[in-house]
Amino acid sequence: MAHLLTPGPAALAKLMIRMRLTLMRNSLGGDDAANLYTGVSVGLILAAGTIAVAVLWPAYLPLALAAWLSGWIFGPILIGGGNETLRPEYFAMLPATPRRTAAALLAGAFAGPAPAVNLIALLSLPVYGWRHGPAGVLIGLVAAVITLITMVMISRVVVALIGLFVRSRATAASVGVVAGTAIALCSNGWAPVAALGGDTAAWSHHLVRALPSGWGVAAIEAPWPLALAILAANAGLIALLLASWATLLSRRVVSAARGGVPPRRGAPRPFPTTGGARVSAAKELRAWWRDLVRIQLLGTAFSFALVFPFLLVPLDAWVVVPFTGLIAIVMAAASSANLYGADGTALWLTLMTPGAERADVRGRQLAWFLIVGPAAIALSLAGTLISGEPWAWPWVLGLLPALLGGGAGIIVLLAVTSLVPGTDPHKRGGNPLSTGADETAETSLAWLVLIALPSIALPTAGAILLNPWAGVASGVLTGALSAWGLGRIAYRRLENHGTELLNLMKHGPAPQAGKPTTADLPVVHRIGVTVCYLTAWLPLFPQGVVPMVMKIFGIADPGWFLALHLPPIWQWPTIIFMIALGLLMYGYAILIPMRLNSPS
Amino acid sequence: MPTHREPALRTVGLRKAFGDHEAVDDIHLTVPAGSFYGLVGPNGAGKTTTLAMAVGLLRPDAGTAEIFGVDVWRDTVQAKGLIGVLPDGNAMPERLTGREVLTYLGLLRGIPHDTVAERTDELLQVLELDTAERTLVIEYSTGMRKKIGLAVALLHAPRLLVLDEPFEAVDPVSAATIRTILRRFVGSGGSVIISSHVMALVEQLCDHVGVISDGRVMAAGPLADVRGAGTLEDAFVDLVGARTGGTEGLAWLTS
Repeated sequence: MAHLLTPGPAALAKLMIRMRLTLMRNSLGGDDAANLYTGVSVGLILAAGTIAVAVLWPAYLPLALAAWLSGWIFGPILIGGGNETLRPEYFAMLPATPRRTAAALLAGAFAGPAPAVNLIALLSLPVYGWRHGPAGVLIGLVAAVITLITMVMISRVVVALIGLFVRSRATAASVGVVAGTAIALCSNGWAPVAALGGDTAAWSHHLVRALPSGWGVAAIEAPWPLALAILAANAGLIALLLASWATLLSRRVVSAARGGVPPRRGAPRPFPTTGGARVSAAKELRAWWRDLVRIQLLGTAFSFALVFPFLLVPLDAWVVVPFTGLIAIVMAAASSANLYGADGTALWLTLMTPGAERADVRGRQLAWFLIVGPAAIALSLAGTLISGEPWAWPWVLGLLPALLGGGAGIIVLLAVTSLVPGTDPHKRGGNPLSTGADETAETSLAWLVLIALPSIALPTAGAILLNPWAGVASGVLTGALSAWGLGRIAYRRLENHGTELLNLMKHGPAPQAGKPTTADLPVVHRIGVTVCYLTAWLPLFPQGVVPMVMKIFGIADPGWFLALHLPPIWQWPTIIFMIALGLLMYGYAILIPMRLNSPS
Repeated sequence: MPTHREPALRTVGLRKAFGDHEAVDDIHLTVPAGSFYGLVGPNGAGKTTTLAMAVGLLRPDAGTAEIFGVDVWRDTVQAKGLIGVLPDGNAMPERLTGREVLTYLGLLRGIPHDTVAERTDELLQVLELDTAERTLVIEYSTGMRKKIGLAVALLHAPRLLVLDEPFEAVDPVSAATIRTILRRFVGSGGSVIISSHVMALVEQLCDHVGVISDGRVMAAGPLADVRGAGTLEDAFVDLVGARTGGTEGLAWLTS
């Protein structure tokens, strides 16, 4: 009757590649296609940069390759588990061994733009090998292919581990802590490195070669037998990764993902006997405590806030430590900006309950305040105390209420005005940390908060400069007004446009004839917008705001702050130029797509 | 003020297009107060879209919907006080347990705490959800999701129930329970609208039916008028012009 022969490994792999390409082609409509082209363009620029490093500054090649490796590792963590076009669940019923399915899936994983771009970057290895003669080129070519497979495999194993082991609050929070620490290291990691002797030290030289990304360079530099041994070891590592990935996959398809954590042992705590905003807040508090995505985001926000200031301490710079709590507030607000999108179509219940919109918005504000507030206040007080920077007190006490209130206001406002639709929680796949929302759009939303929330606190900062204690009053007033006013705008909008939001989440954005979308943005602009998003923080924060703060407080160490290396007369103009440049870049990156998206 | 003389639901000229596709094209329906109304139609006929527009969850491109004479899109708050809704496939507050969902929604509607607790207990018990006391809604099975959705719709004792596919994926015992609850509700003067693919069920439960196909009403009225002499299934196949397939091809399967 039926024939039960599964195709051989090569045929299976070919089928997976074709399926992946078909899936990609079918989803290449509108914004996705434009995102892909932008991503590929930016990736190609970075790849070309890596090859340039191999030619011009070969000493830094292992470091550059380590950056690509960290992209493969942290990319999936940061965007919630990575994009899985070919889900292992699709093939769970194929009569094939887990390892054969895994090998075929791996082949499918290579049929995408990211590995292709990465391979171009890895061509820097044979380019570097040229310095060591033809044999160096040969080893470089082999190492490039092997390193690519290793990087993709490591990334797959990380995704599989997240999918399989994030089943509890502790694991979700640890993924968040890893992500937050990684972001902090990316922005301030130079400081401890500089304190430990900088890039001239031998340990950093060895470290970047010891990472799997640096084995290719090590092989090129080594004599023949050792080079072969290194390549063989790398191949062995690939086999090991493939075996563990196969095991992880076969466990994943037979174990159910959990969308939440059960309340408590025994009976759950009863609801408060009240109505309105307080009962909504009780619902929200339970969601914060039981939803693994929210726990992970909070973990990211608070670990970033804790790690970031202390990375400067090895340089004996305690200036940022008092602001730990404030950084936590801004980061927590940035990761809470898609509250309604994350809950999905559950909004229908709010809409069908007469007058519930106001209670829901106020309840979400109250719950966010209760989750973030106490920890942020404790961090602020502790940070200011241990930093031994008494000048910081009025700044911390003034900005704290302004940012807390501003955060509680801005998250609900953005949640209803800039909602990014995701997948309904009960329909999400095997990955507990993915909301199914468009990551690019969610990231833009987070950036919007990172810029908008500090600007809410600007008047308070001005007041503090005039009179330290007037700033505290101004901060309390700003916070109260923002929380009340922005919340009011939010629930008014929910009352009037709730059904539109619901249908946005149910059916996605409605295509409207004649209305331009971001996809219509010329490619040059799209690349420009992406580059600005990725780099605007550089002039704004480390080269603008930080040297400004250091100059205000008379901290002499110029570090890597361009302005502080210049003659005094040029320092202020440079700082102002850098801040203006950063703001302009953000303005361009946000306004250009927004102009196209705004309903006409 | 709404009176019992007004129909439970009246839609006039409802239209909705998604892109170029006219999902609902000029739907006129009248559901008499106190009736058990079945809305039937093939997959993609526009039943769910029509019901969503009728209860205020989807803004129509044109047309009006009234619940007991109250315009759903003008006096939204008043209309929503009169109806209980079970939409198809929408999310819930997923990280609450069944009891917490009911408690939260009851308190949000301003029902006194004791009443909420009492009704929640009864609903969970009757719908056999009380054993899943520690299970979050996100981990409910499809049938349990239907039942908690139904409990939410019943909680505030509405005058009209609008239920989209209430029996889909529900086990036979629970289905019998739900049928009994709905019959008691209609018997005491309430009105019910259900949508379904299952003709036998509609025939058994409903006293009025509306047949929708391709976004239009093909027939509507008392059950006896719509089905005529034959069964509802025959009438339905006649009305939507469907051709029963499945007899051709697939030779390899039956050889």
